[in-house]
Amino acid sequence: MRWGMVINLAKCTRCHGCVAACRIEHFLPLHLTWPRLIAWETDAGKKLEVSTYPVRCNHCKDAPCVKVCPTGATQQREDGLVWIDQNKCAGCRYCVVACPYQNRTFLSKDKDPGYFPGYSLTGFEKKGKKLYPHQAGTTEKCNFCMERIDAGLANGLKPGIDREATPACVNTCQAGALTFGDLDDPESEVSKLIREKDGFQLHPEYGTDPSIYYIDGKLCGCVSNKAPLEATTGSHIQHLSTIEDRAKEIFGAGVGGK
Amino acid sequence: MGERKVIKSTCKSCHGGCGVKVTVEDGTIVNIEGNPDSLTRGTMCAKGLSSIQHIDNPYRLKYPLKRVGERGEGKWKKISWDEALDTIEKKMKEAMEKYGPWSIAVSQGTGRGYNRYTHRFARSIGTANVITPGYVCHSPRLGLYGLVTGYGRLYCDYHGWGGEFPKTHIMWAKQLEISSADSEMCYWYINSLDYAKNLIIIDPRATAYTSRATLWLQPRPGSDCALALGMMNVIINEGIYDKEFVEKWTYGFDELKERVKPYTPEKVAEITWVPKEKIIEAARLWAIDTPGCIQVGSSLERQANCGHTLRAIICLMGLAGNIERPGSMISWVLPKTGLVEDFYLEIPLTDEMKKHIIGGEKFKLGAARTCNPDMIIKTIAQSGESPIKVWFSVGGQQIVHMANTKEVFAAMKKVDFIAHCDQFMGPMAEMSDIVLPAAHWLEIDDIYDMHPRFMIEAHNKAVEPIGEAKSDVWIFNELGKRVAPKYWFKDVEACLDYQLRKGGITWKEFSQRLVSGCWGKDQVYYKYKTDYWRKGGGFPSPTGKFEFASKALEALGYDPLPQFREPGESPYSTPDLHKEYPLVLTSGYRAPFYFLSQYRNIPWLRSFMEYPILQINPETAKKLGIEDGDWVWVESPRGRIRQKVRCFPGIDRRVVMATANCFYPEEPPQSFHGLFISNPNVLTDNGHQDPMYGSPDLTCLLCKVYKCSKEDLKENVFKTQEYGTPFTKVLPIPNE
Repeated sequence: MRWGMVINLAKCTRCHGCVAACRIEHFLPLHLTWPRLIAWETDAGKKLEVSTYPVRCNHCKDAPCVKVCPTGATQQREDGLVWIDQNKCAGCRYCVVACPYQNRTFLSKDKDPGYFPGYSLTGFEKKGKKLYPHQAGTTEKCNFCMERIDAGLANGLKPGIDREATPACVNTCQAGALTFGDLDDPESEVSKLIREKDGFQLHPEYGTDPSIYYIDGKLCGCVSNKAPLEATTGSHIQHLSTIEDRAKEIFGAGVGGK
Repeated sequence: MGERKVIKSTCKSCHGGCGVKVTVEDGTIVNIEGNPDSLTRGTMCAKGLSSIQHIDNPYRLKYPLKRVGERGEGKWKKISWDEALDTIEKKMKEAMEKYGPWSIAVSQGTGRGYNRYTHRFARSIGTANVITPGYVCHSPRLGLYGLVTGYGRLYCDYHGWGGEFPKTHIMWAKQLEISSADSEMCYWYINSLDYAKNLIIIDPRATAYTSRATLWLQPRPGSDCALALGMMNVIINEGIYDKEFVEKWTYGFDELKERVKPYTPEKVAEITWVPKEKIIEAARLWAIDTPGCIQVGSSLERQANCGHTLRAIICLMGLAGNIERPGSMISWVLPKTGLVEDFYLEIPLTDEMKKHIIGGEKFKLGAARTCNPDMIIKTIAQSGESPIKVWFSVGGQQIVHMANTKEVFAAMKKVDFIAHCDQFMGPMAEMSDIVLPAAHWLEIDDIYDMHPRFMIEAHNKAVEPIGEAKSDVWIFNELGKRVAPKYWFKDVEACLDYQLRKGGITWKEFSQRLVSGCWGKDQVYYKYKTDYWRKGGGFPSPTGKFEFASKALEALGYDPLPQFREPGESPYSTPDLHKEYPLVLTSGYRAPFYFLSQYRNIPWLRSFMEYPILQINPETAKKLGIEDGDWVWVESPRGRIRQKVRCFPGIDRRVVMATANCFYPEEPPQSFHGLFISNPNVLTDNGHQDPMYGSPDLTCLLCKVYKCSKEDLKENVFKTQEYGTPFTKVLPIPNE
């Protein structure tokens, strides 16, 4: 069994529903975003390309982050899931550097001002601190909604088929661009899509064997197999969640509070 | 873990309609997700999901407020609901007595479940001066569908209920896959694309789906009517129209044929900047690969030729026989609960009320049942005297979305009394005398009416409203009871029961059932071939046919056939102006994270696109010495605004696209929350209007673009990326 995801590049509309669903599911604090969208447009002389790559931790089979982790916090399960035991993470950030896909974020200490800096936390944020505690000083990333998968399996549900056992981003996608399932099962929806639509992994040359595959890239004019390391989108799509001071300016009560 | 409950409801973060499951723990919402048992199959977009940050946002209005300083001074006093409603009642009654009830205007934001309350309230107190954005969004198409087919609502059949999906899709100035409105259709549109042969996108700029499209037509903003006439020219000349439908069921084909004759592909290519091969191909795909549907975007209704543009597009539907076929344009059969509009239509407009509609004599379609808002502004600007003495506003930022912001701003200051109902302080609230706190959709019991009208759904209260916030229906009912008691109800539940009575259910039952709809096999196709509308078949129009030429329009003094007219300002209508303002400006840019002027105060959503973006072709930018990410001035004869440049190859070199409807909630009240900083309506003109609907050119005008100097970026909103800059502003929360 190996959990994996297939992302249809032609269907993604850039709506960011996946990002919002993840923030809800995991009560992500201000400067964390597990899934991201890399969006860019090129006009390479011939055909205009408007492309969007939804990215998140690839749960690589040969994961560099697991290898470099000195404390054993980043581990790989038998089902292929790469996860971080936050209690073991020392915050060294070797993994952040090692991940060639830049899908890991370090949650700085003392930098969790809440979404409305200067105000008390909202009810949702307070609940989140109990229901899904994030540990400052550790590194985080997408965990394929491990909790949902495990709870679902325990209840006899099938991830990718039964909603309760499927990642939140997959459930919410209006475009149906995300499919989840078992890569080892040739009859699973993900395996079929990869087979029939010639699914490809991002940057296979890194040799990490990601568990996320992309399809229909040609249809939407994306450059197959390649996506830039970081967004080349300039100002179009940005992630305020990584610009904490700015959030403070916009949403905060300002110096002295109120 | 505390007490946990799951409430099923309906999202209204845009026009809404997506089924929602809300998990509440000890009175706090801990999760929102789509309801898998609803028509939208458990999917939701970022806007709806982010309601979680809306609901307990510290900037929410919590109590009724009374302004104690000058307009825009930001000085407020907390008052009781009784005092607020007493004051509004008194002001209204005074105005009614002194100037007549038509001196009261009732305004609303985009139609989202409270239209029927605004209209019923206005009619109940005796005024038809309702200010809605309808004339620049949705009303023209509904009215014109009504003129052509006799029935006012044609929607795209994406569901496959008739056994067929559309073979050809046209997305005309619309991104249904992201666009704010009609989101309950987004899921079904994308789903139906899996079965489609052709997707034709007509849009001045590339979108996420243009790469996926069979064909992308990139017209000059404001030239869409000519494009439709050109496509009809091809279809008629090549004889590829639906002959059976045209011969048997339409009226005025010969006149239409004559009308489109001069619009050859060559000529249309010149007008629209779309290569002639693409015009021909689009016409052929549309006419041959049927069934098909055209999704029209409201950008077309924000143009001063909108009436004829829509007329032309509707004729295009008829030529291909794409009317009432499975997989084409269809008028849905209503649910058992009936037409939601009946809630106000049952109070007829009197001749007296009609006589006093502002703009009624001029815009015979757009100002037949509601007034023309621009005329109010013009009247005040010219006479210094406001015909409107009391302005009761619910949601919506008229001050932001109306053309020519400076004039709107000056005029509004002349209105004696404004009461505004909202969830946050914003430009409209700062202009008001009294501000009422409105509840969020997660805090209310109400009936949701979707645009296509084949169903209604329930908004079920998930949590108690914040502070003393109240639902729109409560506010209207309470005020109604005071001013026009005959038409209003004991309480909210009685009001909701009344609206559901035709379905034979009460609010309590409906709230459990969540939906009343008509779908699947219950829907009726090809109504015109049966006795459905007319004995022996036919359309419910005056001629009983689908009217290419409209006698009704002719009787009102309009051209009975679609006619192309240049925008008020364009390279061809005003060549001299074009020398000084060399770029065509359109303000149709919508981001999937905002709904018009809403949500810039929701951190999750603001994080996706912090600033309003001006899309400009990289080559044009290079010529102007502008780089990606620069702040630029965009200037028209009315004024100038600042937006952030995004170099974007998917836009014509002669066109720029500005983000619409923006203000900055974080800017101080004194600036009316940054009303003039980036709002493209500072640039638009309210002088050139559609003769039928009164719609001004909001999405097609001329501008010039140049770089801002450092000195130009003094406001707080621009202080970004300068990490460590001391920030001393304190955002006022007037409640506390």
